[in-house]
Amino acid sequence: MRTVAGPIETRHDRRDGASVAVRGRRRPPWSQIVGTALILGWTLPPFLYLVVLSVKPERLIAVRSALLFWPTFERYRELVITNLGLPIWNSLLTSITGALITVALASLAAVTFSYLDFRGKAALFLIMLLPRMFPPVTTLIPIHLAMKTFGLIDTRTGLILLFGAFQIPLAIWVMRTALAEVPRELAESAALDGASLPVIVARVVLPMAGPGLLAAFILAFIFNWNEFLFPLILTSFHAKTGSVAITSFSGGYKQLPWGPLAVLGVVMTMPVILFILAFRAALVRGFTAGALKG
Amino acid sequence: MRWATLGRGRLYFLLLTLPAVLYVMAWRIAPALYTIWLSFTQYNIIYDPGPQWNHLENYRRLLHDSGLVQALRLSAIFALAATAIELVIGVGAAAFFDSDPPGRNLLLGLFLLPMVMAPVVVGTVWSALFDPTVGPVMYLFEVLKAPEFQWLASPLTAFLGLIVADAWEWTPLAALLLFAAMQAIPREQHEAARVDGASSFQLFWRVILPQITGMLVVAGGLRLMDAFLELDKVFVMTGGGPGTSTQLVSYYVYKQAFQAYELGYASTVITGLLALLTVMFAFYLRRYSRMLRSAAS
Repeated sequence: MRTVAGPIETRHDRRDGASVAVRGRRRPPWSQIVGTALILGWTLPPFLYLVVLSVKPERLIAVRSALLFWPTFERYRELVITNLGLPIWNSLLTSITGALITVALASLAAVTFSYLDFRGKAALFLIMLLPRMFPPVTTLIPIHLAMKTFGLIDTRTGLILLFGAFQIPLAIWVMRTALAEVPRELAESAALDGASLPVIVARVVLPMAGPGLLAAFILAFIFNWNEFLFPLILTSFHAKTGSVAITSFSGGYKQLPWGPLAVLGVVMTMPVILFILAFRAALVRGFTAGALKG
Repeated sequence: MRWATLGRGRLYFLLLTLPAVLYVMAWRIAPALYTIWLSFTQYNIIYDPGPQWNHLENYRRLLHDSGLVQALRLSAIFALAATAIELVIGVGAAAFFDSDPPGRNLLLGLFLLPMVMAPVVVGTVWSALFDPTVGPVMYLFEVLKAPEFQWLASPLTAFLGLIVADAWEWTPLAALLLFAAMQAIPREQHEAARVDGASSFQLFWRVILPQITGMLVVAGGLRLMDAFLELDKVFVMTGGGPGTSTQLVSYYVYKQAFQAYELGYASTVITGLLALLTVMFAFYLRRYSRMLRSAAS
């Protein structure tokens, strides 16, 4: 009977804030405890195993029963000094710069889309969103040829130019919803006070959409950081990104160097974990938007 | 603001929008069109100086390509199996989050980790788990005295391994979308069902599930499309092998273009794929458009 009555009480209690504290102290029903355990058991162990591998001493790494050992951080130190540091640095540099370009271009375009009515607006908006509908593999070969023509193969400049473009549609989408929340009266009163259009956009509209800008930046960064196919075909050594470096280990059936591989995997996941912890709400909104508008 | 009343402001707005539009055109739309043109040419980057028009030769080859047929079939099976698992587990997880457990938001954040981390890292994680020398899965087999084999080096288990990895990576997305749909159901309906004496199971089956079918179709369609074109995990975990037993269609395209250097024919495969996806997408929209509209509202 208790489990049946429980949810009704909580739904009801939530409305009057006074009893929230009472609800917090109540023991959750067993089904929620089991559910929490299942969720954690599904999500964490695979990744944690990689973390364990990354700090497992080399002589124990093939001893699968050894789960308790003194962790070694030697490999993380090595990552910084050996040639594996370069791909991570490349990834950081290209992802951040690319995301900045994306946000800059997309936010300006989003201002037009959200503040201005003109003929053909819907069509133009559709054209901007169209690339999301066809898979990235459709652009693979021409982009490869173009980069070769311009001598941008295996350069960070080439990757940055490309990363700047990829997430523009998503960023416009995110920015448009953010701009819709900025009160129109602000822009209008600034215009009445005699502010010119550039000043209104730069000083009034965009600062108000700060959270949207941040969300667009984070999403663009993560998608760039995770991108694999294009860095794979466009880079080989100097501009190789982290995700390409991971795959360059796996060569056929020979024994893989699991230690460095695990370290690279963990390092590649660190910024993502940071962003999840800091900006979960923005991420959830962005990923669902990114998924739904396709 | 209206275009007609802007006067000199028009130029300014044009300047705001143009860079983004041109950028997207240059990097996304023009290349896609160029791919379609390339699909009518003979262009092997090693032998041919440039793309040469060869009528419909590539398309004739496309129709007799048994490797492609096999890749398409594998991709279809992969997409269907992975999506089915993701939706089933996703519904369960969404229902759990909808019951408002303590620490829900933190838990939701953790749950999202697999889908936000890089796909190649997901591939690495599961390669490690299935690896015969360092992985726990094969260790478990050994402890249980089961016959030993190489998980990612046998055709069937390698394919299963890919499906498991994909389910792990993308179940959170399905759960997230379904959770949003469940949250949109007015709480009064839960209460009314409870008052009428419905069990948790009946509440889910009779009240919640009918109202999230729209989102199930959306999430399922989304995952089918994406999983059909899966490449990253194939690359890391199996490399299409053993043999061609896990060679999904994107990997087939990759091999044609960047290992056989047949850029012309690879473009043809891509164009054919695009046409196939468009047709499927059109059918999907026609069949489910009413459901989709109800999910969007």
